Amino acid sequence: MGHHMPPPPPEEVVVVVKKWWPPDETRLGIISAVIAVLIVIFPGLPAVIKAIGVIFALVWGADSVRKTSKYGLGTGVPSIGYFAVIGYGMVGAFTGMAFSRYGHLGPVEAGVLVGVLFMAITGYISGILANTPKLIAMKIPRLERGMMELGAAGTLAVLLECSIIAGTTRWEPVLENGINTGVIAVILILSSLAMFHPYNACLGPDEIRERTLKVSVEISGLICIILGIASLVTLGGMATGIQMIIFGVIVWLVFYVSFVRAAIRESHSVTGTGLIKTIE
Amino acid sequence: MAAEIVLLFAWTIVIIALAFLACMFEDLESDTGSQSNPNSQVQLAPQVGYVHRFFNKAISGEPLSWCMYATTSGTIAWVLLKQGVTPLLAIPIGVLTGEALHVIFSTTAHVGRVSGQKRFQQPVYLDVLYGSLLPIAAFGFIGSLCITSIAYIQSNLGTLSGIPQLNHPFPFPLLCFIWGITVGAIGSSTGDIHYGTEREFQDRPFGEGKRVVYHGKITRYADCGIRRQHDIVSFCAKFGGPCTGLTFGSIILFENWRTLVGMMLGGYLPAAIGLSDTAALIGIGIGIAIVVLLLVVNMRLVRWARKTYGPFVGA
Amino acid sequence: MEPTILLIVLVCVILGGVLASLGVHLLPVGGAPAAMGTATGIATGAIMLMFGSALTGLFTAATVAMFSNSIVLVALSGAVGAMLMVSIIFLFANVTYIFGAGCVPVSGRVAVDPITKELQTPYKTPQTDGHGLPSVCLISGIIGGFIGGFGGALIYFALINYAKLEYAMAGVLAMGIILANAIIAAYNIRGTIEGFHDPKFRTTPKALLVCFVASLLCGIAIVLALTTGVITGGAV
Repeated sequence: MGHHMPPPPPEEVVVVVKKWWPPDETRLGIISAVIAVLIVIFPGLPAVIKAIGVIFALVWGADSVRKTSKYGLGTGVPSIGYFAVIGYGMVGAFTGMAFSRYGHLGPVEAGVLVGVLFMAITGYISGILANTPKLIAMKIPRLERGMMELGAAGTLAVLLECSIIAGTTRWEPVLENGINTGVIAVILILSSLAMFHPYNACLGPDEIRERTLKVSVEISGLICIILGIASLVTLGGMATGIQMIIFGVIVWLVFYVSFVRAAIRESHSVTGTGLIKTIE
Repeated sequence: MAAEIVLLFAWTIVIIALAFLACMFEDLESDTGSQSNPNSQVQLAPQVGYVHRFFNKAISGEPLSWCMYATTSGTIAWVLLKQGVTPLLAIPIGVLTGEALHVIFSTTAHVGRVSGQKRFQQPVYLDVLYGSLLPIAAFGFIGSLCITSIAYIQSNLGTLSGIPQLNHPFPFPLLCFIWGITVGAIGSSTGDIHYGTEREFQDRPFGEGKRVVYHGKITRYADCGIRRQHDIVSFCAKFGGPCTGLTFGSIILFENWRTLVGMMLGGYLPAAIGLSDTAALIGIGIGIAIVVLLLVVNMRLVRWARKTYGPFVGA
Repeated sequence: MEPTILLIVLVCVILGGVLASLGVHLLPVGGAPAAMGTATGIATGAIMLMFGSALTGLFTAATVAMFSNSIVLVALSGAVGAMLMVSIIFLFANVTYIFGAGCVPVSGRVAVDPITKELQTPYKTPQTDGHGLPSVCLISGIIGGFIGGFGGALIYFALINYAKLEYAMAGVLAMGIILANAIIAAYNIRGTIEGFHDPKFRTTPKALLVCFVASLLCGIAIVLALTTGVITGGAV
């Protein structure tokens, strides 16, 4: 057996395949906003549908965190994520729930959107002020839009999750089931993580948007599991809880496996163990 | 002294003891998987050519991640308590769930960060990935268990000591949230110094701040073989960890002590009804006195270090 | 709800937010470089140091609010709690720098400590921006903790006592407003600051203006919600 010449390397063909997922930043924002808003104004929908709304709101937020903190915030990436949820999201959800009894039209309760709109405006104004050269001068392109999206996405996520726990966005049930019990704490912290953890965890020059956004969906799956467990003892009820847990486990498993596989496949190399080297 | 007051102080001592442990294990956990501020060097190392075998656990800063483990643990424990499960089972099961999330977030952070550094030729070492997860979860378990227990005792402090009005007004998971953030803030501000300034750059001269030119060029070789996260824990457990534990323990100690003494001297205890501005005032007074004392001690320490160590003499 | 009460709530929210922002500017924070002894200050982010200390203050303020109806006393209790937390952190951070890493606490931004008049530059490691917490940072930081904790407890007390919110709700909202303002302040200082002697401290009014607007908007959102009359009841 002689030497086989290695086959000549195939010529590199750049095939631009327009994948449907993920859509570009603007489209993803519009799609997520529309879906999340549509779900939040129908409080009678089953919890699993609301969970889909949560996933979209959080992916939208994670995408906004990514495009805003790409330019360097001056402090850690996480700051803008919890700014959106614990800062503006909570205030917006509070306002939204107070207004939820207005704007009734059959099953539609459009009052909650007051909170979302108000926080979008607040985010936009803070974005303008933070970018103004004479004030904070953060010099981040489209920071205004990013902060507006974050305010809206944070509020939508908190509202939807409260709605899963209490079965409605009305003030009293949410107060009784979501806030006085302390479940709001886990809602706030896990939603923040779903927004900032994807970009924070995938940070680096070879970060890929598609891969990063998978982490957000994966965390949303975990949120669904935890909320499902919590709704076993709140107004959500046993049936809702079990549905949410099953849905959450499926979402988490699919996206976790998909992300870890993608990350390992797209890393420089994978070795069981090995020594280190210094690259000059 | 009334039995209620004795019980109140006894339970407060339990909280303080748990606080010492909680923050010590918090710091050691952040060394078991490199996290928070010193992790910026582990992240930077491949960029300057230093391929390493550290575990890049970039979940977020410690406050947020610890808040997440503690709050999740607290929420699950709260659900179980509502179902009538005994706290002795409910809290550990809750903490186990919190640690499951911890491990999940650790893997996504490590593989995410390493794959984001493809061009610097940093490989994914599977033994580093798998081998670090169990210690991370174990250290995290002890820390979260302590925090969740503190929150549980505080939310029931009144009931335990026979004065039900003294239960903390915040619900159990919200207290977990508060202490999670605080423990993380302390762990990253105290314990990280020992890992970042000393252990991460141990082959550089001792006794100086680490220069910008050293950044990323971390110590990658251990006493024998190649350094990994496990070698760091054993080192930091000798100084950084206990120091961090003392910080949180002292905070809980002084904070509760001044409030309780104020309440006792102000005549609010043991009845715990009505209003007592004197109690609040005494608490504030004691607090300010402690702060002034600490400030004086700290300033004397700075002066002592300046005198003993002297001006910078290296190159 | 009466307009005067709404106005008081609004003013307390704005004041609390602006004070939190001012507190962040006074805290000595070095961020990630401080963990390597490359910058003066506490080795964590400005936001989290402020948030952690404000929450410790809030915890005590919530206890004190059970037996005191005086806004000043509750806010002061929160302020002292936060101050206590930062002063203990400062002590143990310096212990770790001095005994764990052998560094002399020194400022990187000024040549002479403006309070103790001690020389700084000869003690500094070359190619660093200082390390540890020199005396001036300690004093600045303790004032910062006091101001931040005062702001947090002020918002909390206004929300439970005037707006008549439940304890947990008021706590969560106070946290949110403190956090939002601390983040804006952290963006202004770009991660690191040593305290009032730092040249960056001169930019404080800019951040305070932005925080004023942000807190005003959050305050309006809360007041709007209160005017609906749905949010009644409350613990006090």
